[in-house]
Amino acid sequence: MKCICLIFILFHTTVIAQISPGPRSLSMGSAGVTLKDVWSLQHNPAGIAGIQRPIFAVGYERHFSDQDLSTQKAVFAVPFKQHVFGLSIERYGLSEYSEQSAGIAYSRNFSGALALSIILKYHQLSIHKYGSANAISVDAGMQYRLNDKVWIGTHISNPSNSKYQNVSGSIIPVSLSLGVSFEFSDKVLIISDINKVLNATIDTKLGIEYKLINWFALRGGMSANPFKQYAGFGFHYQRFALDVASSSHPDLGYSPNLAFSYEF
Amino acid sequence: MNFNCKCLVFILFLVTIKPINAYSQDDATDVIEKILDLLSRDPSEDQDYSDIVERLNYYMKHPIDLNAATHEQLKELIFISPVQINEILRHSLENGSFMDVLELQSIRSLDMESIGLLLNFVRVSFPAPLKDLTIKKLINKADHDLMIRVGRILEGQSGFSKAANSEEANYQGSALRLLTRYRYNFSNTLAASLNMEKDAGEQFFNKSKTNGFDFYSGNISFRGSGIVKKLLIGDYALQFGQGLVMWSGSGFGKGAGISTIAKQDFGLKPYSSVNESMFLRGVSGTFKYRKISFTPFASKKNLDASLTDQGNEISAVNISGLHRTKSEIDNKARLSSSIYGAHIQLNSRSLNMGFISYQTHFNLPFSAGKSLYEQYDFRGNSLTNLGMHYDYNFRNTYFFGEMAHSKNGGSAFINGIMSSLSPRVSIVLMHRNYAKNYHSFFNQSVSEASNAVNESGFYSALALKFDSKWDFFTYSDFFRFPWLKFRVNGPSSGYEILAQINYRMNKKLKLSSRFKQQVREENPDDNIAGSGLETVDKQNYRFEIIYSINDRFSLRNRAEIVRFQKGEAKYELGFLNYQDIIYKPLSSKLSGNIRFGIFDTESFNSRIYAYENDVLYSYSVPAYQGKGVRFYINARYTLVRGFDLWLRYSLTSYYDQKNVGSGDDQIRGNKRSDVRLQIRYQF
Repeated sequence: MKCICLIFILFHTTVIAQISPGPRSLSMGSAGVTLKDVWSLQHNPAGIAGIQRPIFAVGYERHFSDQDLSTQKAVFAVPFKQHVFGLSIERYGLSEYSEQSAGIAYSRNFSGALALSIILKYHQLSIHKYGSANAISVDAGMQYRLNDKVWIGTHISNPSNSKYQNVSGSIIPVSLSLGVSFEFSDKVLIISDINKVLNATIDTKLGIEYKLINWFALRGGMSANPFKQYAGFGFHYQRFALDVASSSHPDLGYSPNLAFSYEF
Repeated sequence: MNFNCKCLVFILFLVTIKPINAYSQDDATDVIEKILDLLSRDPSEDQDYSDIVERLNYYMKHPIDLNAATHEQLKELIFISPVQINEILRHSLENGSFMDVLELQSIRSLDMESIGLLLNFVRVSFPAPLKDLTIKKLINKADHDLMIRVGRILEGQSGFSKAANSEEANYQGSALRLLTRYRYNFSNTLAASLNMEKDAGEQFFNKSKTNGFDFYSGNISFRGSGIVKKLLIGDYALQFGQGLVMWSGSGFGKGAGISTIAKQDFGLKPYSSVNESMFLRGVSGTFKYRKISFTPFASKKNLDASLTDQGNEISAVNISGLHRTKSEIDNKARLSSSIYGAHIQLNSRSLNMGFISYQTHFNLPFSAGKSLYEQYDFRGNSLTNLGMHYDYNFRNTYFFGEMAHSKNGGSAFINGIMSSLSPRVSIVLMHRNYAKNYHSFFNQSVSEASNAVNESGFYSALALKFDSKWDFFTYSDFFRFPWLKFRVNGPSSGYEILAQINYRMNKKLKLSSRFKQQVREENPDDNIAGSGLETVDKQNYRFEIIYSINDRFSLRNRAEIVRFQKGEAKYELGFLNYQDIIYKPLSSKLSGNIRFGIFDTESFNSRIYAYENDVLYSYSVPAYQGKGVRFYINARYTLVRGFDLWLRYSLTSYYDQKNVGSGDDQIRGNKRSDVRLQIRYQF
């Protein structure tokens, strides 16, 4: 019963629940258009353009502390000079209902001040006893450096409005995000996104990251619509990184998110 | 830093940062209006800021010496945060005495706005030898301050005239308002204060009122430097910790800055306001031995209260302090309360910890409320409160909190962190949890509701200074009410967001805009049982321009829009636009300001509050509601040194309205005007 309720709520309130951000982005109000790490593959693949070494990460998100409803995801990025390639795989849902997606991204870095990227995604929706449906969509993203401290970014998801064939109700969201980041000092980063999803209201997001010491960061954020509060932290030790985040929805409760990455 | 180096820094300050002097020339009431406007999130008529206004005025006249400033003194300037106070105090420890107030600009957590305000309240001087005390000096060298304020609404209100079928008017007294106050202050050591007040409609020296004024309040206080820190007899206020257990007088909560969210307590202080309920009356003192200070207190005071139908229990305590009608006069001082308790605090350089306990007794019991939402309210005639509070400074981070318990009732907790992560980034995080059966009669802790009870919430704020021109402030607060509330027949929740951006183009022009959204739940208007709660969404948009034309005239223009929506109903809009002209020459006997405002609000829900300049020590925050125009003029004239005169006239003229106000306050016609005259003599 709880599952049915949750699905009902999810489909009626947040059509973007399928895109699971990395824990760093999630803990910063799920703003992430201007973030630059391997999880950028989820929210703006232009963010992988600055990667120096191959990097691999796996993540897990449980939605609203529910035992069954979860997202598993893995991302991989490899640089060849200014050209960076990325791979992402994600599975969202429960045993009876799930959405899988796989993406391949290409990102190019122009003299460190501009990054452009495009990602091709394959989606699959499967419902127990009903079969499955497929779709292909394209995302594109950009990040641009205004000055030493300020970056702006933009990300457009599924502009061609691709749909699953023969499935009504389930959609691949069409969205446009604009973001800005300020580096106030080498310890403090503030990011903010404005996000518009087709057929949904505009959301404003704000996040902060504070590097308490060079291997440990605290993060927090909020989004205005729907109103949510976020918090998280991240460890970075040599080539390993562990990030933990949670969002808090007033009615639905907490959604913990955890990821681990390794740099080759 | 050696002396030469310091001199160099000092000269650099003088050369580079001269324009800041422009801030210090603001008119007293204008600076204070700015501060109140900054600090309070939701101005309304029923808040009482007169003690804060008076305290700020005192420090304007007697600026704090930065080289001798104590933590306690700086705390009294309510607009600076604990982190900022610590840096100011640390500055003189680390760099030696201040040589000039402009050195404040080297304190990293202080922004230009705060410095501009702070310059009105601080000075730099070098220690002078102590002088001997004599009785003669106690009289001659002291400051005396006598002030009389009269005012009235010019139009006749229905409460003052006889109704058709009764013999006398509802209001027993005249429409005149009268306040007399006297202050005695001897070099911050010995002080006395007396307030006498009559509100509109209250009796004054007539047949049944032979003792003159309706409200008297006074005290004599002593401030020492030995074991006896403070001694006070008469009316006093107590403020401890975060205000969960004992905080009499007004407290700010969520405002448009980070300084107010962590409350800074003053402990014992003389009561100076004319609010007739939120104070203690009796004896108290603060004794300090090494790191421990001890404040015992005892109070016996009468309260206005109405009785239940049976007539033997209290149904409600009236805090308005108004005694105009027969029933209000009957309810006056019906309930007697006695309070005794003590507070003990351990002070060290970075850690303060305090414990408080007190007991309240009433001569009549409080009745159990009739409605379900009142089920957990206080009942009986005695209450014991216990509490522990702390604050701790670690580098640039300030930790604060309080936990409280009311005997036979629930507990309440508040904990927070305030930190400047970098010179330009500050954050506050605060969690609160107040049980539905937590009771305290002096409770001013941060809360969404008017009292810290039946609520849990998480508040976070972020303040950014992009450069010397741009700054940004935002907070978000999520709250939950586990039990029912008035007009909310179910557990409910909500949130609030505020974002403000300020731009100082140059020393002449300042722009700011603010967005605020409050979302909560309430009963539907057609209250059908079991129909659930509706969401109430209220949004405010504000834009403000402050422009100084020359060193005499400045202008301020504000536009504000309120959008109120309940459930699926159509939204209601409110609009206010006003223009202020402020005349404040560098040296002239005359100064003043004028406002012309136009407002158009669709409903009571979309009304807009705005601060107005008023005569010194006074403040007004009227609601702009309906359709019409508002005008006021406020002028000050110095007759001779120490003898000042204020005059204020205000007029609201409504469009297409036959009556103004309701009940006994109703005026026939479409205008409501008020005049106020104030005289102050300082000797």
